[in-house]
Amino acid sequence: MSNNIQVPLEKIDDYRWRIPRSYKPGMRVPGIIYADEKLLKDIRQDKAAEQVANVAFLPGIVNASLAMPDIHWGYGFCIGGVAATDPENGGVISPGGVGFDINCGVRMLKTNFQYEEIKDKIKTLVYALFSDVPSGLGSKGDIRVNEREEREILVKGAKWAVEKGFGTHEDLECTEEYGAIPGADPSAVSERAYERGKAQSGTLGSGNHFLEIQVIDQLYDRDLCDEFGLTLGQITIMIHSGSRGLGYQVCDDYTRSMIHCLQKYNINVPDRQLACAPVNSQEGKAYLGAMKCAANYAWANRQCLMYLTRKVFEKIFALPWQKMGMDLIYDVAHNIAKIEKHLVNGKEKTLCIHRKGATRAFGPGHPDLPQRYKKTGQPVIIPGDMGRNSYLLVGTEKAMEETFGSTCHGAGRLKSRTAATKSINADDLLKELESKGIIVRASGRGTIAEEAPQAYKDVNEVVDVVHNAGISKRVCRTRPLGVIKG
Amino acid sequence: MKKYELLEHTADIRVRMTGKDLKGLFKNSALAMFDIIAQRKLSKTDKQEKIIIEQKADNLDELFINWLNELLSLSSAKELIFSEFQIKKLDENNLEAVAMGENEKKYKVNTEIKAATYHGLKLEKIRSGWQAEVIFDV
Repeated sequence: MSNNIQVPLEKIDDYRWRIPRSYKPGMRVPGIIYADEKLLKDIRQDKAAEQVANVAFLPGIVNASLAMPDIHWGYGFCIGGVAATDPENGGVISPGGVGFDINCGVRMLKTNFQYEEIKDKIKTLVYALFSDVPSGLGSKGDIRVNEREEREILVKGAKWAVEKGFGTHEDLECTEEYGAIPGADPSAVSERAYERGKAQSGTLGSGNHFLEIQVIDQLYDRDLCDEFGLTLGQITIMIHSGSRGLGYQVCDDYTRSMIHCLQKYNINVPDRQLACAPVNSQEGKAYLGAMKCAANYAWANRQCLMYLTRKVFEKIFALPWQKMGMDLIYDVAHNIAKIEKHLVNGKEKTLCIHRKGATRAFGPGHPDLPQRYKKTGQPVIIPGDMGRNSYLLVGTEKAMEETFGSTCHGAGRLKSRTAATKSINADDLLKELESKGIIVRASGRGTIAEEAPQAYKDVNEVVDVVHNAGISKRVCRTRPLGVIKG
Repeated sequence: MKKYELLEHTADIRVRMTGKDLKGLFKNSALAMFDIIAQRKLSKTDKQEKIIIEQKADNLDELFINWLNELLSLSSAKELIFSEFQIKKLDENNLEAVAMGENEKKYKVNTEIKAATYHGLKLEKIRSGWQAEVIFDV
């Protein structure tokens, strides 16, 4: 599909392309896409660039409608989009700029194991993880909660899980927002959302969500690796999940109500999925309060998933997880809106940053970072597809200057799910992955084909762009050994 | 015969559905959505749950999206897969319908649909009735 040929993309430098404001009347700022020539070709294949231009219509948008190199066609916002709005200047908040899976995100933990030590145990681990960590559509967890507890989760986030004994204080320190974003308002969450959330805490979900055992196969920055305590051949674990049905319901509820805000506040956007309201309006505040609840739920969820993972390792190796060095490196959200302070033309402003398929990447010294990461900059975790690589990066000062402290979030899809399912045979793919030393267990066979490496851009190319553009810095790369898919 | 077809979309699922009239379109769209979500593995019993659904909206597009999202929401909250729909009343702004379904354990679930979205939504009258194009976030 070449719908995109007509979107003008002017070269700024080797890694940035501008969609001028003149492209569409109504654009308040230009669009800027981070990509190299090669990725740009893929970007031109679908409607993602058009969506970058549409986001530039949002009232109060600051500097530019930004897109990361893993950008692809979504609904409303593109996936891989960053938009900052200024509440003082009529800036809006849009549920579509966060997405249905609020605080979909990823965490990475390390172990003391070297690949050689546990290579014969990978299959056992994968099968045990698959049986003990609930995954798949609508999967229900063993960690069931009542409504009072659910309300507590929505406010306390990962801290709730830690208080229950599912982790430690250090885990919270190594989680974006310390695992709970302040200002969550449980009264802004509908009954239905509660109902959907009750049974799903501690569950992985389906689709592109996963749990992976990985091995570090490349170090890029020795000093940073030393700081993080990472070496070549070391085993790491990655967990990718979100807020499940609770988050979807919050997004649905507020998209419904904000469609009416377009008329009420006289907002002109080219796509109703960009429905929004001023951040400071009653509707905007209610959404933000509810979105924070869903975000906290997701952090509690990933904390529970990590607890279940540690338990499996304890069972297989008959050692406490602390002895296996299963410390959390960091946990990042990549579908979220945040109220943050940034410099705009040399002046500090409090802005609403939408990151939809984009990751916070604060540079060294940022006041929001825990002491242990003040020197390195914020760890950024980039999951790839199940056949290739994933990355650990850190945020940079340049990201603070150019992208409101943001970077990419993953490989980004290239092929539609239908095209992938048509052209890829799940059995052949499993064999091919196994020959590469990758064991996969998935709830549905459909998921395997849909999530095939061929359906994704090469994460290596995506990370090259954010590294070379300077908006984050490579620390190390991993490759998958064992994959549990929802 | 399937009353829907899958169209290309990079990340999500884009579907075209048809119906001989508007009621038929709403019904077939719900059937299509649950056909994408799950496949029956155990035979039907008499233990069907019946849920009455009422929706109001400012226009037909919103009513259509609200209908599909309400079904997804109920399906997830009640742990049901819906397989039969009766559209009792339908105009531009109001919908009254009955959805019948059974516990999701009777199905093999294939795809999680998070929501139906407005992006690229098209509802139109065609020669043989009505047609809709919608993108599901999956």
